[in-house]
Amino acid sequence: MAEDKFDRGSALTVFKSDRREDFMALVLSLIIALLVYLFI
Amino acid sequence: MVYTRRSVWPLVIGIIMVAYAYLVQSGNMAGLIKFLNTGRYAGEMVTLGYAFGSVAVVVGLWQVLATPREGHGDYYLSTVAGVMFIMLVAFIVKWGLDPLMASWGHAARPTLGFDFASVLNLNYVVMGILAGIIVVNVFKVPQWAENGVRLSRLGLKTGVILLGALYSFAELAQLGKLSVLMIGVFVLGSVWLVLTIGMRRNLPNSMTGVLSSGVGVCGVSAAVAAAPVVQAKSLEIAYTIGTILLFGVLCMFLFPIVGRAFGMGYIQFGAWAGTGILNSAQVAGAALAFQPGGIETLKVAEIFNITRVLFLPIIVLWLAVWYVKREEGAEKVDLVQVIVGKFPIFVLGFILMFALSSTGIFAPAQHYQGSYFDNSEKAMTTRDKEGKPVSTLLGDKDLGALKAEADKIQRQDQKAALQRLIENKKLMSIDDDDTLRGVVNAKIMSKAANDVLTKAHRAVRHTAKKIAMFRDLIAWFFTFGLVGLGMQITMSSIKQAGGQPLVVGSIVGVIKAIGSLIVVWLLVAETI
Repeated sequence: MAEDKFDRGSALTVFKSDRREDFMALVLSLIIALLVYLFI
Repeated sequence: MVYTRRSVWPLVIGIIMVAYAYLVQSGNMAGLIKFLNTGRYAGEMVTLGYAFGSVAVVVGLWQVLATPREGHGDYYLSTVAGVMFIMLVAFIVKWGLDPLMASWGHAARPTLGFDFASVLNLNYVVMGILAGIIVVNVFKVPQWAENGVRLSRLGLKTGVILLGALYSFAELAQLGKLSVLMIGVFVLGSVWLVLTIGMRRNLPNSMTGVLSSGVGVCGVSAAVAAAPVVQAKSLEIAYTIGTILLFGVLCMFLFPIVGRAFGMGYIQFGAWAGTGILNSAQVAGAALAFQPGGIETLKVAEIFNITRVLFLPIIVLWLAVWYVKREEGAEKVDLVQVIVGKFPIFVLGFILMFALSSTGIFAPAQHYQGSYFDNSEKAMTTRDKEGKPVSTLLGDKDLGALKAEADKIQRQDQKAALQRLIENKKLMSIDDDDTLRGVVNAKIMSKAANDVLTKAHRAVRHTAKKIAMFRDLIAWFFTFGLVGLGMQITMSSIKQAGGQPLVVGSIVGVIKAIGSLIVVWLLVAETI
């Protein structure tokens, strides 16, 4: 069932759920904020 | 399954981006840049061209040479090609089509009698979304880019979270009161109206419930959050999402045109878009389309949008009680679990970023709209072209202009602020600055004296570099997200709207849009 195993996300997102997408956006934002804080 | 589609196009896109960055850097594009008047973008053309181009070249080479195996690496790396595809479209639109259309609009003005680019609001945000819609519906998104297009919503959410860094307590306190009041009235009012009309038209309770949440709160995510509470079927959710998308897309293009026709300011339009447009992504699209050159409107609109999302738990509770009363034998659901499970975390991320920003790590904590007050000697010293320090204190000629007209001022607080400015050659406090901005706005003194006051204002107001960087990043995250969003607006998704849900949703959507327009127009001042 390899086809199903990696057939993830939906038509709108590559993530399994909205919650996971939200967390990824949060992590990405915090990384960006840290970089801005350190280097700008 | 293996998601990476072997294609030479990511590599080609990467080479095009790097080559363009090199040509701009070496000055070979100077003629085109001058013709399109895009000199202000030259820095980002080089930086973004090299950055995205290099990634596209590396990933493109890997896709051509390696044989991907199924797994996490393949899945997530397969998104890179789509991201590059979106960015290429965004670059072409922002650095090419936008200035070209502005130039054509200006040139056609004598013939047509109006600037069609300005009237039709043909800026890079609108054209980016349109380009996405055309790509997906006319040409189809290439298979190798499909996975990356599904990252556009991540871009929008990241943009919203980062936006939190731009607010200060002062700003949020002022806008917060207004937004809670307006959103409270319109969100609760729309939910009530959908429920009432839905009951009169004998729509199923589950359909009415999910539609009311979608139309009232924040579109798609609200509809999904309310669905388990009213036990909505997937087709009903699809109808609601289709209705919201169709209405939202129309609003996204119409709101900026109406806003300009009414001569709205940034705060007025932001308040209207954040209240009247149904879906979060379209709120951002309309705000940026209204003010493509800055993000003041976007900031106001997002405050309203986020206030609206904060109403979600109340609406879910309301719908749960309403549904249980209407449906005998309805299954009881755990409300706390639904709210905790479905509440959008990115809204909490926005608040977290705002809290971080309020500690003063990105700009002095008292910053207002990214700028802050500092009249220290260090802050009031700039460098000339040769690098020599130059003071921004007012000179004798400036002070003479103010002294000559000091008698025109009648109010005691304004007199005192002006006196302190003349004695110290600089503004001494934020209050003095605000007080004398009032003198400038009221045009009490001559233009020459007002220019001196404005000069004194600019000397003590500084924009933090970190905040300026956040502004640029946010604008690009939204551009990426909106072009990608356009690529997800297929005719088939819009056709999902139909029948009674479309009628009810449209009636309430129009009432909400017109009602909020009237309230904003009558009650919201441009400066709060």
